Amino acid sequence: MLFNTIQFFIFLVVVLALFYASPRAWRKYILLSASYFFYGSWNWKFILLLLTLTAIDYTAGIWIERTPPGRRRKIILILSLTANLGFLGIFKYYNFVASNLALALGKPGNSFWFDIVLPLGISFHTFQSMSYVVDVYRGQQKAIRNVTDYALYICFFPQLVAGPIVRARDFFRDLLHWKPPTTDDVARGVFLIALGLTKKMAFADQFAKVANDYFGNVAAHSGMVPAWTGVIAFGMQIYFDFSGYTDMAIGMALLLGFHFPINFRRPYLAASITEFWRRWHISLSTWLRDYLYISLGGNRHGRWHTYRNLMLTMLLGGLWHGASWNFIIWGGYHGSLLAIERAIRGERRNVERWSWLYPLQWLLTLGLVMVSWVFFRAADLHQSVAILSQMFSAPHGRTLLTTWQNGLIVGSWVLAMAEEKLDWFERLMRAPVWAYASALALMMFCLEIFGVIDARIPFIYFQF
Amino acid sequence: MSTPGVQQPTVAPPRPGYASHAFRRAGLACSLAFLGVFGLDALVFRTHYYTQFLEPDSSTGQFEMILRREQQAQQRYGDNMIAAFGDSRLGFSPRAALRLRPNSAYVFRVAGMAGTDVRVWYYMLRDLDPTARRYRALVFAVNDYRDEDWGIPEDDPRLLHYVIARLRVSDIPGFFTAFGEPKLRWEAFRGSVFKGLVYQTDVLAFLSDPARRIKWVRLYDKYWQLWVWNWVDTDRNMVGLRIDWTAWKATLPPGMDQHQRDTVRDFLMYPPGHPQTGHYAAFRRKWFGKIIDRYRGSPTKIIFFRLARGPIPRPDNLVDKKTCSICELARRPNVLLAPEHDFDSLEHPEFYKDAMHLNREGGERFTAMLVDEVTKLLGPPGAQGTAK
Repeated sequence: MLFNTIQFFIFLVVVLALFYASPRAWRKYILLSASYFFYGSWNWKFILLLLTLTAIDYTAGIWIERTPPGRRRKIILILSLTANLGFLGIFKYYNFVASNLALALGKPGNSFWFDIVLPLGISFHTFQSMSYVVDVYRGQQKAIRNVTDYALYICFFPQLVAGPIVRARDFFRDLLHWKPPTTDDVARGVFLIALGLTKKMAFADQFAKVANDYFGNVAAHSGMVPAWTGVIAFGMQIYFDFSGYTDMAIGMALLLGFHFPINFRRPYLAASITEFWRRWHISLSTWLRDYLYISLGGNRHGRWHTYRNLMLTMLLGGLWHGASWNFIIWGGYHGSLLAIERAIRGERRNVERWSWLYPLQWLLTLGLVMVSWVFFRAADLHQSVAILSQMFSAPHGRTLLTTWQNGLIVGSWVLAMAEEKLDWFERLMRAPVWAYASALALMMFCLEIFGVIDARIPFIYFQF
Repeated sequence: MSTPGVQQPTVAPPRPGYASHAFRRAGLACSLAFLGVFGLDALVFRTHYYTQFLEPDSSTGQFEMILRREQQAQQRYGDNMIAAFGDSRLGFSPRAALRLRPNSAYVFRVAGMAGTDVRVWYYMLRDLDPTARRYRALVFAVNDYRDEDWGIPEDDPRLLHYVIARLRVSDIPGFFTAFGEPKLRWEAFRGSVFKGLVYQTDVLAFLSDPARRIKWVRLYDKYWQLWVWNWVDTDRNMVGLRIDWTAWKATLPPGMDQHQRDTVRDFLMYPPGHPQTGHYAAFRRKWFGKIIDRYRGSPTKIIFFRLARGPIPRPDNLVDKKTCSICELARRPNVLLAPEHDFDSLEHPEFYKDAMHLNREGGERFTAMLVDEVTKLLGPPGAQGTAK
């Protein structure tokens, strides 16, 4: 059940109706049932996996809290993390490790392969679950005693399959002290759902056609211009796809009275890679910072350790996205850029502030980010190298983007700038109903004209 | 949603009806937004603003150009006209009619187009002849007077694209419910409400290069009628084609291209055995019935004729055709039926360019025969047609 289908919207309306028509005490059971139904509609067998992980971390949380600080407490934490990472490793990384091992032993790559189906959203819900256990271990979160509450935290359908990765304290704040959504919440929720749908169907899916065409047959589009435009198309696709999904997830949660943190903050306006990561997939980058980078020592042990930690964090961040050398290189590339920026900037804070250098810094950052998408999207290393060599060859070839697609890019950039400077989203949320409705109508019209309606292109991050 | 056993801070109880007020407001905004997008859609696609820039080579573009051409012809030729409707098999050439029968009492026009069926002709006629008195006769080409089921005729999604520019708000309920398959019904419903969804491909192509499209449309406006008028069909033929119906084997002449082979397979030698449910008869009764109803009490005659069946016709005994909807319709006032076998003399391989379509020679013969037959049926201008 994809978010951009009629079936899902019927499901959502039914859930909302049942939720608000039921007595309060029943509501979390309704959400839990709806979430398992949603997850089961993809592959019901994986509900068992979800239940197993839920049981492990629920028990671990209580056990850790009951155990006084010391070695035993640490062992429980390690057991819990091992279980989570073990499941993740088996389902997501086994074949990758097995094929590399086989190649190292001079055997065919698929010699030790198993036919493994990747459970939907496993990377997201294991990270969410691990963060809870670590927070309990650190004493930053009370262990949850009610198993239904904990199960709902892990499988809440708006963010189950592709995030945002919600921290336990945020989720339980809303669950345990639930308040009906305010007028602003509902207005924001509806607006975000419409915006997310427009981003996904009118923007991401249109750029997906160009990107799929290019990456599907690179040889047919030789030259610098097709290479850059194909990669830019993917850059647009992944942003609109993922941020569209997140907007919808946040919007749906708001309608149910839950407040999720923001996950994207106009990342393509960033003027440095550090800033980019403060704006892109914020729930993952803060997760990596809080549970990996800081655990590794962060910037507390001198420059070289900081660079190493940045590099390790981003390498693992890359690997989190998928089991392939391309993702590892993608992470390593970003880690290197972050380390280089850190070396140039020193210990000064990276302040997001307008300066006359901004256009130059912005363009450079955008270019570097676009280059990174080559590794993210290309089928393998060989294709990545081929595309990069085209991108940095002499100008040649024809653009793959049409006039209106360029218009969409420029239009969305102008809207993003306006939002950055004028905060117009927030103003619109509080505007009179006719102004708010006009904005919704404009988005729907945009969907009507540009939306890829029947192709049902899946969200990119569903595969992670 | 409180959880027993967990310490909770005291929270002020929510104001009663607070959420419902928020949802009501959002509901109002969504309703207004739907109205707004309907209004925007109507402003762009239910007016002349966009349809004047339609791609001329698209289904909608062709439909609109034929409609415009025939509206202009009405101004030129007055009300002494006969309009022929059919799909690509019609093979009638107004130019040949003028050349071969220069003294004909009537001006013959073609308002049909490739790939269309009676539903498309209904919507075409509704705007072409709003008063239902413009023509001496409307001539409809059918493959057979008897009804043979071969699929679900109403489930042809092309209909939406042919007639989209002509659909009115009042058409929506009748239009989308005319489709049988739920998926098509849904597509027809949303497309007839929000026309932009149907025009989407055309709009995106237009936006890719607006200047080129505008230039292209102007070129078509200027020359298309001339191109169509001067178009001469091919002399290619099917001589050498033989079909052994008992062995179900076709012998194709050397040099036949893939298209010709495909038409032999799909049009002549498709396997019999499709269940005869009466579906097609009902479809024809409904839509031809709607056209005949429009012309009730009008001086315009409705004429049906059977097209030549092909270079080698399929044997009649392959399918038990139980009904003859066209014969039933011909019993209604104002409706004339040309003798069923009038055009059988064209059923020879030398008159066909493939297994479905007449070639130049076949088309010219057919044109002259049709002019003669229609004139015979109608009699001289002013006379009542009596033949049945």
